[in-house]
Amino acid sequence: MLKLNSVEVAYLNVIRVLHGVSLNVEEGSIVALLGANGAGKSTTLKAVSGLLHAEEGEITDGNIEWNGERIDRKNAEEIGKLGIIQALEGHRVFEHLTTEENLQVGAYQRKDRHAIKQDLDMVYDYFPRLKARRRNTAGYLSGGEQQMLVIGRAMMATPKLMMLDEPSLGLAPLLVEEIYHIIKRFNIEHKTSVLLVEQNVRIALSIAQYGYVMENGRVVLDGTANFLKNNEDVKEFYIGLSAMGTKKSYREVKHYKRRKRWL
Amino acid sequence: MTELLQFVITGVTVGMVYSLIALGFVLIWKSSGVANLALGQLVLISSWFTYGMLVQVGLPLWLGFPAVILFALALGWIIEKFALRPLIAQPILSLITVTLGVAFFIEGATSFIWPKSVAALPRFFPQATVHIGTAVVSQEYLWAAVISFILFVLLSLYFKYHRMGIVMRAAADDQLAVQACGIPVTKIFSMAWMLACILAAIGGILMSSIGGITFGLTETGLKAFSVVILGGLDSFLGAIVAGPIIGLAESLGGGYLTPLTWPGVREIIPYITIIIVMFLKPYGLFGEARIERI
Repeated sequence: MLKLNSVEVAYLNVIRVLHGVSLNVEEGSIVALLGANGAGKSTTLKAVSGLLHAEEGEITDGNIEWNGERIDRKNAEEIGKLGIIQALEGHRVFEHLTTEENLQVGAYQRKDRHAIKQDLDMVYDYFPRLKARRRNTAGYLSGGEQQMLVIGRAMMATPKLMMLDEPSLGLAPLLVEEIYHIIKRFNIEHKTSVLLVEQNVRIALSIAQYGYVMENGRVVLDGTANFLKNNEDVKEFYIGLSAMGTKKSYREVKHYKRRKRWL
Repeated sequence: MTELLQFVITGVTVGMVYSLIALGFVLIWKSSGVANLALGQLVLISSWFTYGMLVQVGLPLWLGFPAVILFALALGWIIEKFALRPLIAQPILSLITVTLGVAFFIEGATSFIWPKSVAALPRFFPQATVHIGTAVVSQEYLWAAVISFILFVLLSLYFKYHRMGIVMRAAADDQLAVQACGIPVTKIFSMAWMLACILAAIGGILMSSIGGITFGLTETGLKAFSVVILGGLDSFLGAIVAGPIIGLAESLGGGYLTPLTWPGVREIIPYITIIIVMFLKPYGLFGEARIERI
């Protein structure tokens, strides 16, 4: 349903950050985009959602298809109308608005008041904590609640494809589990595809069916979640387990011996 | 005592009109981060347009005022669409400079279309004076206050409950996140400009019903600046509170200082206020605090 064909992105016409990224998101699936800082994961999401223009970025080559239609020349508004909604990285709530107002902003493009009301209840059902805080100013919510609010806001737009940028960022492990559980539930109950950017490889692969590993603006490895989980390199460099599958002992570390096989 | 009461009433009522105009500034500042330097010129041209509709064309009031509002809407839309939108994503200073260009353009166009320097609107408020305590006030002042107050209430309801109003506040917090929700920010900017122009037009009508249409109306824009600086650039409440304060300072200072110093001292009082505020409280009285969780 979403297809990137060797997309290249440059900022300010000079700084090339994506060197031909291709990936695929099937309808109703969860796809994880993994990699370290600066690998180009967020840029990939912004290329899809049309937010690059706001940051002086541009797709210089390749194309993006949505159900067979090219969308790489469309702006953020048109892409949003197609049902592709991105939740930005780093708990970006509207600080001076209340929780409920934040959610209403998410539903701005929709006209059906009755359904919006129902979806508000649906989001509160997924995130009971938000319901308790509905009249509070969003800027004063805890980090976890803000992340829930950002995801809830994306849900309010009834997306066909929800793109989440590091939902685990800065949250306690228990909270991360909770949020991922809810993402999975939403994916199953609403048949919404999810494209997930994550550094926390273990948790991302626990709900994703397919994953791509990015480094320096390229996809270096891709495969089903099971394949990636059992890949030696992914285990070594992203999950922190040694080849034996046990916890890594730093006494025996000889990094120079083991090289990533994709290099 | 009578004198004091008189000064207070005229100061507060005129100040409320300043607030009204200042709200237009805050709106644009909050939603797009642009300082609109054409505020006074917007007041000027819409006052002259009102004169054109009511006196030169001779429309009845019920037709003339909607025409002015439509004119203001169109003006805001055109300015945003043709002067500011091409510059989106350029340095903010360019955008602010463009508003200065718009100001000069409007000023030129106004004196081209209406070469007269002074005119009076027909009197549409009842002429009987009103006695408040010992003070005698002409009704224009009171109506100005009432209309401004009603508009404050309407605006705050709009921002609290209307979809577009909520989204405009959201854009003030985080533009990129608004775009990520698939909301066109350009629509928000153009809405802000249209609202600001309507407020400037209504402010212009109220001001010129009090003092006639003169070139001095552009100074209303400058006074509205001192209001926003005193109240805090990004605060609606600040603008509403600071307006009457500036109005009071102006009328009290003007009233009591003129005999002691020199004529025209009232004109500089708002600017003296700006300087003092800049020293003491650079973010203004109600500048929105950045929310930081600890």
